[in-house]
Amino acid sequence: MKKPARLTLIFAAVLAVFVFLLAETVVVKIKTTSLRRDPKFTAPIVAAIKAGDALEKLEARDGWVKVKTKAGVVGWLHSTAVEAKKLDLLAMDKTMKTQASAGEVALAAKGFNKQVEDKYRAGNAAADFAAVDALEKAKPTPAEVEAFMKEGKLGEFGDSR
Amino acid sequence: MTARVRALASIAIAVSLSFSGCQAVKQGAADLIASTGKVSQKDAQAIVQTAEVLRSTFADITEEEEYYIGRATAALILAKYKPYRNAAVNAYVNTMGTAVSYYSDRPEVYAGYHFLVLDTDEVNAMAAPGGFIFVTKGLVKRCGDEEALAAILAHEIGHVAARHGLQSIKKSRLIDAFKVIGNEASQRLDSEELTKITGIFEGVLGDVVETLVERGYDRKFEYEADKLGLTFAVRTGYAPGGLAEFLKSMEENRPSGPASGWFKTHPSPADRLARVKTETAALGAAPAKLDVRTARFAQAVKNLR
Repeated sequence: MKKPARLTLIFAAVLAVFVFLLAETVVVKIKTTSLRRDPKFTAPIVAAIKAGDALEKLEARDGWVKVKTKAGVVGWLHSTAVEAKKLDLLAMDKTMKTQASAGEVALAAKGFNKQVEDKYRAGNAAADFAAVDALEKAKPTPAEVEAFMKEGKLGEFGDSR
Repeated sequence: MTARVRALASIAIAVSLSFSGCQAVKQGAADLIASTGKVSQKDAQAIVQTAEVLRSTFADITEEEEYYIGRATAALILAKYKPYRNAAVNAYVNTMGTAVSYYSDRPEVYAGYHFLVLDTDEVNAMAAPGGFIFVTKGLVKRCGDEEALAAILAHEIGHVAARHGLQSIKKSRLIDAFKVIGNEASQRLDSEELTKITGIFEGVLGDVVETLVERGYDRKFEYEADKLGLTFAVRTGYAPGGLAEFLKSMEENRPSGPASGWFKTHPSPADRLARVKTETAALGAAPAKLDVRTARFAQAVKNLR
């Protein structure tokens, strides 16, 4: 291959990388959360989403992002629930995609996780994980939080807003 | 595309991915580099490992890892202090805290925020990483109204939002942990790795619990949490005087003798008060205290024993 052609190809490859980096996909980084109709926690829920879900970012406003799910549902979620995903470019090659997915699995399976907690619990009977489980279950519902805010004239229900 | 161009492009992509801070692609990146046939698998691993040095500080701890550190920290706190068995008070505190978390800089944490009252007359509040927040019965009794309790919860949310708990972990432990985690191509920890990482996990918990329960945070973190808490509480719609009222009450009731509990783990109330006053003045217009909130606070705490 002649040199100019090779340079063009390298340039094209670099350009492709940038284009794919710009394609805005965000990935959910928290266990579960809700997609909402409007950019606020009291807005109606339009979809449930979970860790690892890839969403197409459409718009950003005041710490919230408007996204579209794979199923085509559009809604808002707080920006702290997602991280920018630069993996998108891997979709350019099916093989690469598969390998990256395997890598993701490997790392998710190797941090401080359930497996490590179980091993720790086995050697530390005094740590009261049952009480922690109970605490996690005692979470107030969005409706309860909204009623609390309404009654106390808090957030969007405040007089000055 | 020629093989050489493909190789160059692949390496460029793989290395840029590794340096992007995204932890999910290390092995994929190594395979990708090696798959070009221009670099051996061993060298490919080395390229990725070099990039991986980036995962070395508290900031590289994932949301999920923070959650598991937080769960175990909470389990150790709950081994020392029992939950206060009063569903109404706990629901009140949990709901209020959740409302304030909505208006914080970090409303979404891996498994959401959780708030619980501990059954002790000691006055204290603690925030484990990942959003497990504890206030003692003694502290709730010391609060004069909902604005004060909301201010305390907002301060604790500030610690979580700024990841102060994770910053109490010794750096060397994280470097060790990331070495084990990032090691080799295996999909899961083998039993030797699991033992190693669990040992490091225990050390991590020791660092965090000692800081939360015994030693307290660095002063600068407390001041930062005060500032963040004030911002979050006011954003939620609370009058800004809550924390100042609480600190005044603590100063007036300071026990004689060596500092213990809250007095040991926090800077002096007078010191914090001065800063909080300045920060409050800088806010300008802010919400006013409301009778409806003070009344429901009195109702919620009237049966506190």
